[in-house]
Amino acid sequence: MLLFSFFKTLVDHEVKVELKNGIELTGTLKSVDQFLNLKLDNISSNNNEKYPHLSSVRNMFIRGSTVRYVHLKKSMVDTNLLQDATRRELMSERK
Amino acid sequence: MSFFGFDATGRKPRERKQQGEEDSLDFEETYQGLGDYEPEEDDLLNDETFGTGADLGTDFDFGYGKGELGAGSGSGRAPAPAPVSYASIANAKMNRQADCKPGFEQSLDMQPMESLWGNSSGNQQQQVQPQAPTQFQAPPQVQQQGAPNVEGLAIQSLDRQQQMAMPPQPGFYGMQPPQNPGYGFIPQGFPQGQYQQFPGQNIPPVIPNQFGNAGFPNQPVNPQEQFQQVPPIMYNQTQGNIAHHMQHPQMAMPPMQNQPPVQPQQPHQQQLPPQYLPQQHQQDQQHQQQHQQQQVFQQPHSVDTAARTQAVRSTQDYEHSNSPTPVPTESEQVPTPPHTPREYRRGPRRFGTQDPLTDEELRRLQIRQSKVDKILRHSGVMTPRDKDFITRYQLSQIVTDDPYNEDFYFQVYKIIQRGVTPSESNKDSIAKAYLEHSGHRLGGRYKRTDVALQRMQSQVEKAVTVAKERPQKSKGGLDNAKEGVLGKISATRNSKAPRKQLQIPTHKEDSPALSSQSSSALDEVSESLQGVDINAKRRRSSYALSSSVDHRTVLSRSGGRKFILSLIETVYEEVLELEAQLRSGQQPDSSKLWEALHVEDHGFDVSPFISILSFDKGIKIMPRIMNFLSREEKIKLFNCFFKELSHLNVIVISSYKTTPLPTKDQLKKMELFQSVFLKIIVSFLSSSAEFLEVMSLLINVIQNNNVSFITTSRIGLNLITVLISRAALMKQDVSRGKLLSSVEVSTWSEVYDRLFTSLETKLTAIFPTPEYMQHAISVYEQDSTQYDQSYIWQFLASLALSGKLNHQRILIDEVRDEIFEVISKAEELNAPSQQDPKLAYQRNKFYQDLNLFLNVMGLVARDGEITELK
Repeated sequence: MLLFSFFKTLVDHEVKVELKNGIELTGTLKSVDQFLNLKLDNISSNNNEKYPHLSSVRNMFIRGSTVRYVHLKKSMVDTNLLQDATRRELMSERK
Repeated sequence: MSFFGFDATGRKPRERKQQGEEDSLDFEETYQGLGDYEPEEDDLLNDETFGTGADLGTDFDFGYGKGELGAGSGSGRAPAPAPVSYASIANAKMNRQADCKPGFEQSLDMQPMESLWGNSSGNQQQQVQPQAPTQFQAPPQVQQQGAPNVEGLAIQSLDRQQQMAMPPQPGFYGMQPPQNPGYGFIPQGFPQGQYQQFPGQNIPPVIPNQFGNAGFPNQPVNPQEQFQQVPPIMYNQTQGNIAHHMQHPQMAMPPMQNQPPVQPQQPHQQQLPPQYLPQQHQQDQQHQQQHQQQQVFQQPHSVDTAARTQAVRSTQDYEHSNSPTPVPTESEQVPTPPHTPREYRRGPRRFGTQDPLTDEELRRLQIRQSKVDKILRHSGVMTPRDKDFITRYQLSQIVTDDPYNEDFYFQVYKIIQRGVTPSESNKDSIAKAYLEHSGHRLGGRYKRTDVALQRMQSQVEKAVTVAKERPQKSKGGLDNAKEGVLGKISATRNSKAPRKQLQIPTHKEDSPALSSQSSSALDEVSESLQGVDINAKRRRSSYALSSSVDHRTVLSRSGGRKFILSLIETVYEEVLELEAQLRSGQQPDSSKLWEALHVEDHGFDVSPFISILSFDKGIKIMPRIMNFLSREEKIKLFNCFFKELSHLNVIVISSYKTTPLPTKDQLKKMELFQSVFLKIIVSFLSSSAEFLEVMSLLINVIQNNNVSFITTSRIGLNLITVLISRAALMKQDVSRGKLLSSVEVSTWSEVYDRLFTSLETKLTAIFPTPEYMQHAISVYEQDSTQYDQSYIWQFLASLALSGKLNHQRILIDEVRDEIFEVISKAEELNAPSQQDPKLAYQRNKFYQDLNLFLNVMGLVARDGEITELK
């Protein structure tokens, strides 16, 4: 639940999603679920020459397993809190 | 008898197929890898549910038919068991008569069509024209019956089609898509699958039963129409290999590009009055003698049933089904054919005057219709209750009744961001988000968004309950059964416990004894190499020792790096636990935390607590620890800290003696320590420490450490400055209120004397070498071109403040050179360009720092001269 919890805090923020097939998309994260499927709005492809078919797409549902990276701005992450959350997760697993 | 109405006789689809199939099947093509399917658990009731004839891996189509969505792929793997519309089968099943043969032969469904095709393929073209007149007479017959049975519908559909094709130009006709929005909406309430399986011929008996079907009261109307489902390609294929494609009801659908295959039916049907239908039925059966099983569908709709129910029910249901169905065509300004049954009934009368649709209109209708088809294809397969159930289960995966545990990051992050507790609004936000997700946000037909949200909120509530029950249930088998409803849920991996990239094997408790042993051996080696006796006075670290020990040996002397790191983690866990207790309103019990800190543990050469502070994360947790420690514990902790100050990693790296060329990381570490731990000490000393407690801290420093070494480090100097200036302040403070006892005064002067003695003659050593200062500046990449010496002058000032006159004299004597050096530096800056604000600032700073010290003794340095302070 840690990453799900984390990604929930990114809702309505702009993120860059890099897929495993190399496509990079920038868009506003609208929703995320426990599989880390992402719903992006107002997307723009970072390589319109290579993927022209994406230029007409406005929003997108991305299956979580196809995502390689989600690029974030530094200000979007509270690293100390994330450390705490990670420790909590580990603690609850041990129980 | 199976729930879905399949062939219970156990004949495999492949056998059946081969009967009707001329083409030999290539095994590679047909093999779906179904042999790999392991018999699963809980298969006991499969026969009851799906029938015994269903092969493993059969693609069940629970919609009303595959239509264009599925047809394309279906053609690709033709030999696979044909998708079957179970919704329709289920419907049919409900009304099945006693005499019907059990079982369902999907491969035979198309036989009537085959015969039709065979009959008509030859004379297709000729029939087109002559048929038109007769068609117009057929509809009225139907109308007179008062029951728009499907026979009538089919005919009228054809009428309509031909009507549109007027004037009958062959070319145009060929192009004409068979889609007709008019009758696209007519057969509302008919599962499309049946339509497909009985194009024209066998339909009439079916439909009325369908209507009367009480088993599916909620079944939304499905205004699908057979023709629209057919992708253009199919026709050619169908013609090319009818037998082959007969296996697939959907694929055998009428084509789009060419003459609609329904046309051939017209001769039969149009001339048949409704009452003749039974015979027609029989005839058809003659064509398919070898496939008697086919009757599964035909029999239940035997004529007497039809006759009985048709007149009454169908009319009612037409009315009924019409109203709740959204009819998108109504909004469009197309000179449309009738789209409601009522209109439809009037339709034939209007046909004569209707203008034919233009190409473009047709295309638009076609596109829209296909969209509608897609939307409605699976419409009503699930009841609202089913959907709620699914929603609840899905939600239960993402909600939790213990948000601070399972959703820690989100919860706390929101608090930090907004400063509010989101626990209440959390469920609401999930409800809203999920509403968005599920596409119900528009609130359905009545656009009641508020109702939709309320519903979703209650769903979330229920989901929380489900989530609560989850752990208990997972022990029992009940849970498995239910979770399986939503697909297979892996027992080992799920959102709670995702697959880990890194598997860390858990061996037996990493015993601290072992690690300390091994590291002490290592320690011994390193110590002996340096010729230092490890058994020398334990708590006393000489300057020589401190300069030679690196970080690692200090660590090893306090239990080893691993041990310290695990200690830090334990401390973090305890703090998190305590914070959770605070949140839930419990009284936190910090005894475990205190234990983990090992402050009072004397089993190690160097207290583990000191080593905890050599890690950044150990420093960072300190402010949070302080929230849970009692005052006594804090004093013990600080005593321990000052006692072993020389071992502190940050002292070692901040001393120019031991770390002549600090790296950027080390400088950052110093800064972190200053901003975190020094702050804690200052706030503790100024808020709650007693005078004698400050004294004891100072004594600890002096007695157990090499003070002159500590003063070579920036951090050490800071710490001592804090202590003595605090003591001086308290002494002054007290004079206003209660007096210091004579014991306290004498203690203070004694402590001060000892401190001063240990520093005497070595005071110049507190000034770093010019190389060190230069290096620090270059590494730190700051604007400033000068090393900030203010901490040194602060120390000297506080030392002078508490000293007597002779102390001050010694001080000035010792640092005289440094004083003049600073003044000369300041004047150097003054000379070239007074106007440069940067240089002017730097010059000011020099004097400010210097005057911190000089002012204490009533002196002031200004413009290159030292004068008495007035």
